[in-house]
Amino acid sequence: MEKEIHLLQFITINSMEKVNFRTHILSEHLQNHRHATTATISASPCFSYVPPEVSERPFSFDVTSMRKLMDGHNFGDRDWLFNLMVQSELFNPRLRGGKIFVMPDYNHSMQQQRKITMKRIEYLLDHGVFKGWLTGKGPESEMKKFALLEVIEIFDYALAVNIGVHFLTWGGAIQFFGTKRHHDKWLSATENYLINGCFAMTELGHGSNVRGIETTATYEANTGEFVINTPCESAQKYWIGGAANHATHAVVFSQLNIDGKNQGIHAFIAQIRDENGNICPNIRIADCGHKIGLNGVDNGRIWFDNLRIPRENLLNSVADVSPDGKYLSAINDPDQRFAAFMATLASGRVTVTVSAVYSAKVSLAIAIRYALTRRAFSITANGPELLLLDYPSHQRRLLPLLAKTYAMSFAGNYLKLLYIKRSAQLIKTIHVVSSAFKATLTWHNLRILQECREACGGQGMKTENRIGQLKGEYDVQSTFEGDNNVLMQQVSKALLAEYMAAKKRNKPFKELGLEHMNKSCPVIPTQLISSTLRSTQFQNDIFCLRERDLLNRFAAEVSQYQAQGESKESAFVLSYQVAEDLGKAFSDRAILQCAIEAENNVTAASLKSILGLLRSMYVLVIIEEDSAFLRYGYLSTDNAAAVRKEVVKLCGEIRPQALALVSSFGIPDAFLSPIAFDWVAANSWSTIEN
Amino acid sequence: MRTILEFGRQSLKRSKARTTMASIPFSFGETDQVLVEEKYSTRIFTLNRPNQLNAVSFPMVQFSISAIELFLACEEDHSVKLIILKGKGKAFCAGGDVAAVVRGITQASSNWRPGAIFFRRQYILNYVMATYNTLSNFTIPLQICMKVSILNGIVMGGGAGVSIHGRFCVATENSLFAMPETALGLFPDVGASYFLSRLPGFFGEYVGLTGARLDGAEMLACGLATHFVLSEKLSLLEDALYKADSSDPVVISATISEFSLAPNVKEKSAFHRLNIINKCFSCKTIEEIILALEREAADKDDEWISSTLQSLKKASPTSLKISLRSIREGRLQGLGKCLLREYGLVWTIMRGEINKDFFEGCRAILLDKDKNPKWEPAKLEQVTEDMVDRYFSKINDEDWEDLDLPRRSNIPPYAIAKLQILS
Repeated sequence: MEKEIHLLQFITINSMEKVNFRTHILSEHLQNHRHATTATISASPCFSYVPPEVSERPFSFDVTSMRKLMDGHNFGDRDWLFNLMVQSELFNPRLRGGKIFVMPDYNHSMQQQRKITMKRIEYLLDHGVFKGWLTGKGPESEMKKFALLEVIEIFDYALAVNIGVHFLTWGGAIQFFGTKRHHDKWLSATENYLINGCFAMTELGHGSNVRGIETTATYEANTGEFVINTPCESAQKYWIGGAANHATHAVVFSQLNIDGKNQGIHAFIAQIRDENGNICPNIRIADCGHKIGLNGVDNGRIWFDNLRIPRENLLNSVADVSPDGKYLSAINDPDQRFAAFMATLASGRVTVTVSAVYSAKVSLAIAIRYALTRRAFSITANGPELLLLDYPSHQRRLLPLLAKTYAMSFAGNYLKLLYIKRSAQLIKTIHVVSSAFKATLTWHNLRILQECREACGGQGMKTENRIGQLKGEYDVQSTFEGDNNVLMQQVSKALLAEYMAAKKRNKPFKELGLEHMNKSCPVIPTQLISSTLRSTQFQNDIFCLRERDLLNRFAAEVSQYQAQGESKESAFVLSYQVAEDLGKAFSDRAILQCAIEAENNVTAASLKSILGLLRSMYVLVIIEEDSAFLRYGYLSTDNAAAVRKEVVKLCGEIRPQALALVSSFGIPDAFLSPIAFDWVAANSWSTIEN
Repeated sequence: MRTILEFGRQSLKRSKARTTMASIPFSFGETDQVLVEEKYSTRIFTLNRPNQLNAVSFPMVQFSISAIELFLACEEDHSVKLIILKGKGKAFCAGGDVAAVVRGITQASSNWRPGAIFFRRQYILNYVMATYNTLSNFTIPLQICMKVSILNGIVMGGGAGVSIHGRFCVATENSLFAMPETALGLFPDVGASYFLSRLPGFFGEYVGLTGARLDGAEMLACGLATHFVLSEKLSLLEDALYKADSSDPVVISATISEFSLAPNVKEKSAFHRLNIINKCFSCKTIEEIILALEREAADKDDEWISSTLQSLKKASPTSLKISLRSIREGRLQGLGKCLLREYGLVWTIMRGEINKDFFEGCRAILLDKDKNPKWEPAKLEQVTEDMVDRYFSKINDEDWEDLDLPRRSNIPPYAIAKLQILS
């Protein structure tokens, strides 16, 4: 109704004699130009900004409840931190179009960005934001840490990465690889930033293949010291966040040599700078230089020239070396030892995964709010120009991404809870799920950023409108904490291992959500109608069918290559096409189950109904976009056409809820951007004069 | 030509007629709580209840010819370019007449409805003031009309609500600003969660929680006022304003600036203590704020800290917790959302089902004046998060009606421009 009135008024204006109207506007322009000081935006008749809250229909569901569902936990802590950032000059508040926006000044040089990032950390530290991040106990303090980190990510990813390096990778290594003596010495000091930690794992020659790194640590029994050395240029530590400027300590990953025997990868603590910030002897450090994003992070390179560290600096939770040089480990198998080691690194992947969702939320909220206020072209003779989001094509660009973001938001919440519950039994699940979700969600975010940037047209080019800048800042997410392609291969490998184990022992599947493989193969109806397409049953069936079939195909292809004399490793490498399809199938199915669970836990009918629409959109748009469904014949071409039609229908049904859906993201206005609000006022001449 | 219109219970239709406003002298009605003078294109509204310190009353907001309609009528009357709002006597406006509201509820067998209506109308008035003369109903205004509030005296609670949201607020050496609600068992309402949260740093939390009093110089310094003019110059200022015959904010600002000063903020002012205020009042909870203040007090013997602590300890514990959360949420929201939240809060408070501190506070401070309210719960730690949540949760009650704000365009840029973070 409101919208009809809105349109009507535009028609009234347009029904004025067109020539007169045009003359009036032109004379206004001229007049405004002459008396620039008296011009006010609200007096201009050409285009008046109408906030979407006024022009859109009232919300059909409670956005506060939806926000709670999506943020999941620690709402008060989140809002407190938003408050802390908005009220400090350090967060670069700027007045645009009558509203305050906070965003780093990306026009700063790399060094300036790094400097202000450290000042922001100091401010957050002074206000107790990091209290309990390493010394706190229990799931509650872990969830609080996640929540606060998410809020920091919404402001600036570089700030979050700096903090993440210090607390999650350096601090996490001390927590998980270290024992009491390390905890006592380092955890509280780290939490209070008495030292600055970094995490020196990646080398120039080895990244994802951690086991191939070349830095060595050799034990000398007569002095009771390890000697850490960079034997060649490819062994220089590379991309080490914090190393270039401010880190004082590093966790160094090296090959441990004892009496000439290599015991594999181990982690050591090394001091790399003194308390005055001078680089320590036997250490060389260089800057990684300017990057395509995250210039607020001081990535550096480190060379060790036979640096001597005490025996106690070995992080010895998995393996230890006695003073007389005996290697001691409870785990004899080096493969298992390495796995135990790596399992604890999942927290980094969890936070990367969730941060991708928040970046997607920021850009979608901006692009959709803009599409609800920006008009382009009229499709009738004298009619008003259409709102961008009233074009079905624009809906098709943004609304499926919105639906996917909802599903992935629930997936992120699931992953956090899974990580919190971690136990020896869950190590494999956490590894596989976090790998799959990390790759899928970060890729999803990068795609969203590009689409939203384009959907905002020229305004998307402006750094102040955030989306374009986020493309650079978040780009590296597809690489760090495990290269996405490598991670997805690992997912497929893990699924195959599960498959082989079940077949070999003739036992049912009971992990990684593969239980559906124990049932008979689902049958997809030959003719799909709307109600079927929207049913959870069908959606589950078709995703499970795809996963089951691809897993069978993958197993068959690998064994076929092996039968032809290829090694197991080489068979994997050659089967990469099915492996990719399978990884995606696993991930999509697991995310769907998270969305269904979230929907089932909701009681309010209004929330249930919109979540149902979003879930259907999530599934159908994947079916529409992934050629695997047609390639392997899970869908007939007729049914694929029915899916495509249903996507258009869903776009139309979600469109009226678009504003409510992005409002539910719970991102305060100040963390969005000028084009999300009154972009006419934000760009008016008067803002330049004043 | 000078016409004084006295408004009471007349028909909306007449007041809206342009001729009524312009030239025909009217004098009717049983009440004359708002005086309206006309000088060329300027309308001067004078709050006229000097004996009640111009408190916002039922009639001012309730009847069909309320201040809301008066303002809207001027907005639609394209000959009006400027509205000046001031108070008669030593107050600009000492707030909503809550004593009357509470008397109504306590005497008339717990009938909270008139009270709810009072707050509802008052908040709508606040919204109208804040969004004054922005594009309404999507029509294109050919003429805009500006508003100047002259705060020559007490500005508290509801008085801040009708002035601070507007474009120009002129403070004087007689100005006395405070949001004293936490001492009454209420919380800073009338959109205060919006404007307090936009003061520099955490000054808004300080002002809102302690009920601290600010003088004109402090109001100017923190951004609550846009200008400072000595009271002896006010009549000259008014003359200059109506002679300017303009609705251009640049012209009006320049006109006021001719009379304004940049007074020094007094040495003892809390505004000089922004560092301590930011440090303490940025804490997450009231308990932590008090702890941080006590820690500061332990370091040095400081009268300001001890009186701040005393104000916090005198206030209703429930009010403090509600107020802090309201201001913190308000910082992240627009004015409309702030008023909606505040209305939900005040409604729950009027129902008195969770606690009755508001009635007790009004009894002790305004009615019996024994200044000794018995808060219940009496201690901060007894006010659980769960209790606070109940105030902020969606109201499930058949009597509940959401605050129906007039559908106006967004809050205009200028309404918050002066309340930006100061560097």
